[in-house]
Formats: sequence, structure tokens, C-alpha cells
Amino acid sequence: MMEKFTVYLVDDDPGVLKALSRLLSAKGYDVKPYSSPQIFLEEHDVAVPGCAVLDVSMPGLDGLEIQRVLTAASGYHRPVVFITGKGDIPTSVRAMRAGAIDFLTKPVKDKDLFEALSRAEGRDAESRRLHSEMESVQTKVSSLTPREREVLTHVVAGRLNKQIAGDLGTVEKTIKVHRSRMMEKLGIRTVADLVRMTQKLNLSK
Amino acid sequence: MRCQSVVRLHFDHSNGDLQAPFLVNLYWCIFGVAGLSGMKRTRIVWWSLALLFLYAAESRAAEPRRVLMLHAFNYTFPATTLIADAARKRLLESSPQPLEIDADFLDLARNTDAEYESRIAMFLRTKYGKRTPDVVITLGSAALPFIVRHRDDIAPNVPVVFTSVSPQTHNALRLPANITGIISEFNLDKTLALAERLQPEASRLFVIAGSGEVDRRWQSVARRTIEDRERKFEVTFLFDRSHAKLMEEVENIPRDAIVLYLTFFADNGGNAFVPAEVARSLAAVSPAPLYAPYDTYIGNGIVGGFVETFESVGVRAADMTLQILAGKDPATIAPQTNPGQAYRVDYRAMVGWKLQESNLPPHTAVLFKETSIWSEHPGIVSATILIVALQTIVVAALLIQRRRRLRAENLLKESDERMTFAAAAANIGLWQFDQHRNELWATEHCRTLFGLARNARLSRDAFLAAVHPDDLQNATQSLQGSLQPEQSAISDVRIVLPDGDVRWVRMRARSRSEGGGRPGHLGGIFIDITEQKSAEAEIALQRLEVEHLMRVSVLGELSGSIAHEVNQPLTAILSNAQAALHLLAKESPDLVEIRDALEEIVHEDNRAGEVIHRLRGLLKKGERKAENVNVNDLVRSTMRLLNSEMIGRDINVSLDLEDSVFLTRGDSVQLQQVLLNLIMNAMDAMASTPMAQRFILVTTRGARTEMVDVCVKDRGHGIRPKANGRVFEPFYTTKEHGLGLGLTLCSTIVKAHQGRLALVNDEAGGAIAVFSLPIQQPEIGNA
Repeated sequence: MMEKFTVYLVDDDPGVLKALSRLLSAKGYDVKPYSSPQIFLEEHDVAVPGCAVLDVSMPGLDGLEIQRVLTAASGYHRPVVFITGKGDIPTSVRAMRAGAIDFLTKPVKDKDLFEALSRAEGRDAESRRLHSEMESVQTKVSSLTPREREVLTHVVAGRLNKQIAGDLGTVEKTIKVHRSRMMEKLGIRTVADLVRMTQKLNLSK
Repeated sequence: MRCQSVVRLHFDHSNGDLQAPFLVNLYWCIFGVAGLSGMKRTRIVWWSLALLFLYAAESRAAEPRRVLMLHAFNYTFPATTLIADAARKRLLESSPQPLEIDADFLDLARNTDAEYESRIAMFLRTKYGKRTPDVVITLGSAALPFIVRHRDDIAPNVPVVFTSVSPQTHNALRLPANITGIISEFNLDKTLALAERLQPEASRLFVIAGSGEVDRRWQSVARRTIEDRERKFEVTFLFDRSHAKLMEEVENIPRDAIVLYLTFFADNGGNAFVPAEVARSLAAVSPAPLYAPYDTYIGNGIVGGFVETFESVGVRAADMTLQILAGKDPATIAPQTNPGQAYRVDYRAMVGWKLQESNLPPHTAVLFKETSIWSEHPGIVSATILIVALQTIVVAALLIQRRRRLRAENLLKESDERMTFAAAAANIGLWQFDQHRNELWATEHCRTLFGLARNARLSRDAFLAAVHPDDLQNATQSLQGSLQPEQSAISDVRIVLPDGDVRWVRMRARSRSEGGGRPGHLGGIFIDITEQKSAEAEIALQRLEVEHLMRVSVLGELSGSIAHEVNQPLTAILSNAQAALHLLAKESPDLVEIRDALEEIVHEDNRAGEVIHRLRGLLKKGERKAENVNVNDLVRSTMRLLNSEMIGRDINVSLDLEDSVFLTRGDSVQLQQVLLNLIMNAMDAMASTPMAQRFILVTTRGARTEMVDVCVKDRGHGIRPKANGRVFEPFYTTKEHGLGLGLTLCSTIVKAHQGRLALVNDEAGGAIAVFSLPIQQPEIGNA
């Protein structure tokens, strides 16, 4: 981890905002308190690892909308913990579907909050790792020649070299050369690994 | 003389000339028969002598003229007596010189032989030889031939005035020149005509006559007359019968026949009768009406006839006599016929035989008809009738008035009873107080109202004793009559009943002027209004209950938001406390931070407490309080309560409160309820307004010095046209789950605070609710 895990805290109630940030600071978190969702959205940095703790009901923009805006802006899933005074089921269901870490009801117990934050920390790390991994695969795939990419598609589809050569109108030997070069470029030994890699790529697309 | 006096006597009594003959007849009926006895006759002779003596004395003094009346019959014959009396009366009244009137009865009916005649003539010559009469009046037809034959024996060539001579006799006698008089022609034809008129249906005719000389003459006259009549009858002639036989036959005459009676001087056995007497006995037995040509029969039971009145004959004869006495030559005075003939009927007989008066010929003299007092004394009678009528009217009026009064009294009594009953039924007692006599009248129901014993005297003190001590002053004032005239007063007082129950009684008093502006009677009613009072209390209680329920329901709607309002400080408190714990757990605790956390806890706790306090006020049931309420504070605190709700509904709120301290007197909870209600309405109205436009503006303005206006403005749908004017009606609502009581209650509450509530549409869209409250001048130290 290059940077410290930061908690973005958004609540329109100054008393609650102050108290929660005090609690998180006492626990050792870096806390960035915002009493306005708009300011939070302006200052938010996707690159910084961390988690957003959002009040659900706020004037102007509520927590669920902030979550949506965050995801839409970066494609990066910033972990979100919701806190709410009302805690109604439909809202919580919507929040969880959108990928929220947790949905906590005020008054918030420190244990629950810390537990949610540690999960968020894990999720954030995982998601960051996955993100970087994907980026490297993406880089390798982009280094392939068009012919190699064609061969890749056919290999993943489970076809034999002979069949591929027939399909592409060339000889089996040429296919073999492309295939080994492609495997080398991607740093993969087995076909199984190749299939797994392409699956990840597809997932991330 | 006696006759005269009798006649006069009857004249006096009957007041009518027409009745005189009858009365004379009556006299003869009564005394006639008895008169035949010597005693009465002696008396008359004695009176006659006395009369003669008087005349003799007179003639000596003034050489009187002499008149001799010769009666053909004796004194029992009414006809001649009537003529004589009338003539005598007339002579005495009209003669310019003294007269001596003598009379003698020739009695020729019973004595018809010539010897008797000459002896009578001798007697008269002897009697009147010295005092020769100047005129002789004969009475009765038989006397005329006598005087014609014996005139020269008695008084040579004396002028004679005859009466009652039939035309036949007159013609037969061929009288000397100085004999004149009255010829009586009995008109049987006309008598029969009368009978025919009165009995138009009659078919049988009976004719009665005796066997005397006159009777026989009548027989032939009758036969001839009947034969000449146009109308034909089945005629039965009852002639020449014995009296008894005649009576017997008359009894059997049929009811519808006509009976013509002529004369009955003698029966077939030669017995003499007085025809008038016979007429009486015939009338008594005859079933059919009798008619006759003689005036003298009228009154003796016969119906009547066309008759000569003997008085008129006498009067006319007297007039002729007076002419002769005055020196007129008798030869120049022609005999007269029937000077006074007329139809004459006896009304009583007509009635007895049921004959119609309307059938009588014109100018018929109706005798014996009861003359009415009216015809005699119309003035007196009409006056009497008038007086009687007036008295009757007066009496009737008095009776009617009495009846009306009784009825009015009854009605009054009934009305009184009804009123008392109605008053008692309505739980009302009536009372009146006379201040001068210090007396109180009250209905029995007042006892029940005041719980007084049955035998207790109803007095003012008794009533006042039952009044609750706290209300005694009011009650005393009401009953004391300190009121001005025509003024009324109402006071509600409590009555403590003997069993300890308390009831409310309304005393209504009204003073009535006694005149001169002095208050006289004080009256009024007591009404039991316990139920009204308890109903009022019940209603007040219910209203408080409803107000409370409305508040609870509003708060129920806001419960989520309100919970949030409490939850926020609780969240802050918990987080601060836990932060402090974490800080303390460190090796070198940051005490400054811990202090900050604890201070925050205290602050947030206060904040939570405020919310709870406001809630408790709204949720509490209770009586309306009167305290100073800061209107701006009220608005702010209400808005805080609604903060979460506004956020939840995405509504922007703006407050524009005038920078001044508006204090109003009232109940802060109720006023907050009003504001809460109006803002909730504003929020509800904007449910379909686009989020960006949802806006509520609350302003306070003290535009006028004495009132503060609180205005809630929204951008909702406004007041719908059809709801306009109805929004304050109870149970009127446009909301799906509304009760329709919110604005009703708001209006009630604002009015209770002497304020006004109005709801109008804003021209720019949305509605404006304004309520105005009176401003309480801020007290120093309170502001």
C-alpha cells in the first residue's frame, strides 16, 4: 500500500459528522469529513485507497446517488458504508445491490463501523489488486499481432491447430509458430491458463 | 136609560162602534129572558117614568119639542132597540132645542087582533093627548101600518118617520105625504153570495125560516132568490118546523153545506121566538156555517151576511126627524133605502168553521177579530217592542259576553295549565316577585328544581338557601330586583340539593315597569341546565380530545422524521462517547480531545432533550393554557421539528421572520399545532410539484401594531376551486386519508386566541395560509 487508507465521511448533521470523525480518528483512520455531498464529490480522488461512509438522507443529494455518481465517474468500485437514521428495508436493499459494504443504522456502534471499515479495506485492496492485474493482461493482449489475436480466439474456442489452419487458409506449421509466440507474449504456458485469462478479461469488460 | 148606560159601558170596553150591536145583543141574551120576569120590568118602567118626569120638567121650562118612538114589538127585540137607542143618542146630541123623547112598545108580534090595536091607540091618545108629539118614529115594520091607521087618533096629521120597512110593505101602504123614513131591503142575494165565496166547494144549501108572518115572507123571498142565483145547490128548505124538530134536522146537516137562516118569529105551533135567540141555538148545533141577512144575529154564532146596521138606520131616522123639527116639510123628504148596508162577518164564527178570511168580499167588516194592541197604540207598542228588543239584545249581549268570559276564563285556565305543564315538562319553573309586598309566587316545579320540601313555603330566602355558596351573590342579584324596568338578566347558578347533588339552574329575571318608571314586578324562569352544562363540558373535553388526536396523528405522520431528529444527537453522543473510550485506551490519552468529546456529548444530549420536550408538549393532553408565546420562536421550533421531513420530501424551506419580539397570549402547543398543520398541508400540496420547485416560505410580519401575521406559502396545487369556502368545514377533505378536521381545528384554535385564519391562492401559484394573532405588549424582563 503506497498510501494510507482514508475514510471519506459525509453527513449533513455537523454534530454527527464531528463525532464520527472523532471516533474514526481515535481508531487511527485518516478521516476526511464532508458536510456537503457536492464538496465531497469534487474533492474525491479515486486513486487514494479508502472508503466512503455516507449518510443516506441528506438535502440535495442522498447517499445512494453519491454511490452511483462515484462508480459512474471512474469505473472503480469505491467501497461504500451507509449510515442512516431511518434504515428502511427498500433503501438498504437498493444500497446493498449497488455494492455497498454495509448499511448501518444510527446510532452507529463503533464495533460495527470498524468491522465494516476493515471489510471495506480488504475489498478496496482486492479491488485495487484486481484492477492492476487486469491492466497488465490488457497491456499483454494489446501487444499481440492481429494474426496472433485471431489464433488466440480460436485456441480459446478449443480448436486444434489443423482446424485453425483450415479456417484461416494456411498451413498447420504457421499456426504453431503464431501460437507459441502468442503464448510467450502473454507469459502463459497452458491452454487452461489462457482460457482463465480471457475469462477475466471478458468479466472486466 | 139603562140600555144607554149598558151600551156606553160596552162602548167603553170594546172601543168600536161595530161591536156595539153585538154587545147589546149580548145584554139581551143575558138579561132578556130574565127580563120577562116582573122584577126587571118594573125597574125599567120605573126608570122610564123617571125619565119622563125629567123631560116634563124640562119642557115646562123651555117648551121642548116632543118625539114619540113606537116600537112594533116588546123590548126583547134587539133590532128595534138598537135603532131606538141610536136614534135617541143622535137626537139628543144634535138637536138645537130641548127634546122630550117618549117610547112605547106596541107588542104587535103577540097581539094581532084589531081590538087590541084600537085599545092601544086609545091608550096612546090618552097618554099623549096633552103632550102631542111633534114627530113619531116607528120602529119595526108592523108599527108603520099601525100609525098609518091610528095616526089621527093619537096625534092628528103628525109627521111620521118610519124604519125597518120592506119595500113591499112600503109600496103596499101608499103612504100619506108627511110620512117618510127608512126602507130596509134585506139583500138575501148578497148574503148568499157571501156564503158562496166563503164556501166555494159547497154543493148543499139549507134554508131555515119559521112560520110567523115575517118568516113566511122570507120563505118566498128565499125561494125566489135561490132560484135566481147562478150557482145551483141541492136545496133543503127547513120551513114551518117545530123548534125541536128544526134543531134535530139542523144537527144532521152535513159539514160542507151552507145554511141560510132567515127569521124564526114563530114555529108551526104558533109559539113566539126571538129570531136572534134561535140563531144562537142553531149555531150551537149546526155542523155547517150559518149565514143570515140580519145584523142582530151576528155575534150569536152565525158567520154573517149582507146586512143593515140598525144603528145607521136609527141615526138616519133621527136626522130626518131633526129636519122635520127644524121646520122642513116632511113631504119634501123622500124615503131612503138601506143607508148602511154592508158585508159583516163574525171572525170567531169564521174561525170556528174554518173559513178563509181571504175569501171575503172587499170592504167586508170583520167583527170580533181580536184587535191587536198594535193597531191601537202603534207608538207605544213599537216603543215597547223596541225597548223589549233592546233589553233582549242587551240581555243576549250580556249572556254572550258572560259566555265568552267564561270561555275566555276557561281558555285562560287551560292555557295556564298547559303552560305550567309545558314548563314543568321542559324542566322550567316560573316565578314572580312583588317587590312592594315582598311576596314571591312560583310554580310547584320550582320546589323540584331547588329540592325544597313539599310543605316548605316558597319564598326568596328558601330559594337562596339552596344556592351554592359560590354563586350566592349572582343569585341574590337576580332575585333582588335591582334591575331597571324592562331590563332582563341571566345568571347560571349551582343548586345544592338536600342529597348533596349539584345541579345547574339558569335564572332569567325580567323586571316589568309598573308605570312611572318604577320597577314593580320582577318575574322570570328557572331552567335546569345541568344537562346543558354537562354537555358543554363534554363537548369541551371532546374538542380537547380531538385536538390531541389530531396532534398525535400529525406526529404519527412525522414519526420517522421526528425519530431522526432524536436519532441524530443520539448518534453523535454514542460516537463521541466511544471515541473518548478509544482515546482513553491509548497509552497517552489526548485529554483535550476527550474533553471536546464530552462537551459534544452534553451539547447533543441537550439537543435531543429539546426535541423530546417539544414532542411531549404536542403529545400531552391538557387544558388550554394562557401563557406568553414568542411567535418567531414558535416558528423556528416548529421548523426544527419538521427539518427531517422537509429533507425527506425534498422541500426547500425559507424563513423570513421580522426581527422583532411578537408575544401573543395563548397556548403554545395549540399554536404550534396550527403552524404544524398549515406547513404539513403545504408539504402535502406539493407532492406532485417537481422537486426543484418544492419550496415553503414562512414569514412573520407585525404590519399592524396590534396583530402579528404568520404566513405559510407553498408552491403546490393551491386551493381547488370547488373546495373554496369549504376548507374550514368539518370532515371536508381533499386528501386521500385525511380526516377533514385539520383546518377546522386550526380555525377553532385561532379564533379561541382572538385571531383570524385565512387561506387564499397565490397568484404566482400555490396557496398562502395566513393567521393573525393579537400582540401582547412585551413585559419588561420577559422579552
